[in-house]
Amino acid sequence: MTFYEKELNRINNVIYSNKEQIETVIGVKSYIDNNYHNDLNLDVLSRFCFVSKYHLLRLFKKYYGLTPRQYLIDKRIEKSKQLLTKGTSITETCFAVGFESLGSFSTLFKSKTGMSPALFKKEQLSRSKLD
Amino acid sequence: MKVTLISIPVRDQEKALKFYTEKLGFIKKKDKPLEGGNRWLTLVSPEWQDGPELLLEPAPNHFEPCKVFQDALMEAGFPYTQFDVDNVDADYERLTKLNVEFSVKPTIMGIVKFAVFNDTCGNNIQIVENL
Repeated sequence: MTFYEKELNRINNVIYSNKEQIETVIGVKSYIDNNYHNDLNLDVLSRFCFVSKYHLLRLFKKYYGLTPRQYLIDKRIEKSKQLLTKGTSITETCFAVGFESLGSFSTLFKSKTGMSPALFKKEQLSRSKLD
Repeated sequence: MKVTLISIPVRDQEKALKFYTEKLGFIKKKDKPLEGGNRWLTLVSPEWQDGPELLLEPAPNHFEPCKVFQDALMEAGFPYTQFDVDNVDADYERLTKLNVEFSVKPTIMGIVKFAVFNDTCGNNIQIVENL
């Protein structure tokens, strides 16, 4: 066994010893992955995993390094980029990934990617024409 | 400031180019000659071609401390860097069939599954799937 593997085993025993907590957060992440387009919030996730919402918030952040809300937004932005690249309209994309208003979608998209959905779509289309 | 480039030290740029494109599936983005037969050689992920570039840097051939550091990491089994994948098991199967040697087979640790392989250019590389 290499030094790296020994170190991983040591760290694993320290930070990943609570299997029940790990199963909970993996289940919640998987639920977000499969339901990001629905109206998700901490109450829904909390009912899904039978853990109080503030405990869930702490657990998710502890293991994934970000809150369920932050993860959900990142997931929606990632999916929206895929849809826009395929040529889906901005309005359709916005609602397909679970945002409720074009305004909040555009603002979040721009803050996460550095460009508006319209500009992103335009760049992707011109790139595909050049290819 | 933007993160646009990460570098990997390699002993032989041409050999590295073959391994990283033909086996791992990266795409060559920039290839320009520098002095002494060295090249500015960068790769991108096929599914994220406007994402960060991977620089195959011949530093170990020109700067002894880099070679010493690279050798020490290799001997201890430490990955030089890691790449995200959708399915570690599938990539393990695919790369094993291409005769890529793994020092760590797919292993679950907390919220991730990972494996480590030899890039034949002086580095261990880790692939990671978020569970």
